[in-house]
Amino acid sequence: MSPALPIDTDRLVLRRFERSDLSALCEYHVLPAMQRYTLGRTRDRDEVAGALGIMRGQISLQRPGDTLTLAMIRKDDEKLLGHVSLHWTDCTAGQGEFRFLINPVHSGNGFVREALSALFDLAFGHYRIHRLMARCDGRNHNSIKLLQQMGLRLEAHYREHALFQGEWDEELHFAILDREWQRSSKVEDLPPRHRVA
Amino acid sequence: MALYPNYPLQTERLRLRPFTRGDVDAVFAYRRREDVALYLFDGPLSREECALAVQQRIGQITLEVEGDKVVLGVELASSGALIGEVSLIWRNVDARQGEIGWIFDPAYQGHGYATEAANALLDLGFGPGDMHRIAARCDVRNIASWRLMDRLGMRREAHFREHALFKNQWDEEFVYAILWQEWHSRREASDGG
Ligand SMILES: CC(C)(COP(=O)(O)OP(=O)(O)OC[C@H]1O[C@@H](n2cnc3c(N)ncnc32)[C@H](O)[C@@H]1OP(=O)(O)O)[C@@H](O)C(=O)NCCC(=O)NCCS
Repeated sequence: MSPALPIDTDRLVLRRFERSDLSALCEYHVLPAMQRYTLGRTRDRDEVAGALGIMRGQISLQRPGDTLTLAMIRKDDEKLLGHVSLHWTDCTAGQGEFRFLINPVHSGNGFVREALSALFDLAFGHYRIHRLMARCDGRNHNSIKLLQQMGLRLEAHYREHALFQGEWDEELHFAILDREWQRSSKVEDLPPRHRVA
Repeated sequence: MALYPNYPLQTERLRLRPFTRGDVDAVFAYRRREDVALYLFDGPLSREECALAVQQRIGQITLEVEGDKVVLGVELASSGALIGEVSLIWRNVDARQGEIGWIFDPAYQGHGYATEAANALLDLGFGPGDMHRIAARCDVRNIASWRLMDRLGMRREAHFREHALFKNQWDEEFVYAILWQEWHSRREASDGG
């Protein structure tokens, strides 16, 4: 069930992480605001190298619990902008959770949306996921807007349900079902004959 | 904070107290029913299963470590009849999170007993239990249960759709919650303060 990689979108190539991505990854992975969305705390180059090692191994979903992580590379200049990941949480109920991180220098250009669209196509199309969800901090307005624009529904708004770095946390859950996701044009464009058959 | 309550907990019309071996028949009277089990994790229980459940509940009376659960029988103060049960789980010690639940005999529904008993459990959790937030969850179709959450002053925090399978069908679930400060201001208001 390995997907065909890399994935090509308008402006991006989504590919596996490589060892040589370390410096570009460090640029955003160490930022305090990113820590909530990273796997563990990564405050310096060594810790990011550890995270990179893990992400380099996240190359397909074979069984629940697996994660697929893809680096977002800008076609123009082959720059690493950020990454997206898909975590397979439950097999029988077809549940997945996704995450996304972008170097703030490059945010506001629709790159995350472009990468997530391709990731959703992969999740719903290739992996037959039934429902995708994401968590985000209640104060993360950029992410909230993005997820809502992509047609995800706010399903949960937890207040003070947990402590995060010693403070009360506010967490939102967004979700979308397979039948609610409008496939990107690339996948929709089957030859007409195909549809009739 | 670890919790070793003094039982019974008294309310206006009810007593909340640990289960005893003599409760098996009263528990069987409601846990055997399809309508009661509809949105519960377990299906209708046999008498033997009820005896086992009661046996297990007898020891569930304190909160010492994360995951511990207090399950109390609710009886009418007037007659001593067992009319249902309420539970409080210690979900997270550091973040002081609890979760409540309830099951009542349909013969005694519609009188506000569940509300009264659940309020007593919120008082226990937020008071001596020093909890910060108490949540409850139920199937979206379980109207009686989420109306009860409304009456308790809980807020709807989540509405999950098809996030899991429940009894071979897509599950749709509500999560409600109330914070300590919300509970506190409700109690101040109802004390006429
Ligand atoms: C969920 C459940 C406990 C609710 O029981 P309930 O009897 O509706 O709840 P209460 O005891 O608080 O009674 C409230 C009803 O009594 C009425 N009432 C009468 N006197 C009242 C009083 N003094 N105070 C409050 N309500 C009163 C209320 O108006 C309400 O009726 P309504 O729903 O027609 O408006 C019960 O339906 C149950 O056990 N269900 C099966 C098990 C289950 O699903 N458990 C939950 C799993 S998540």
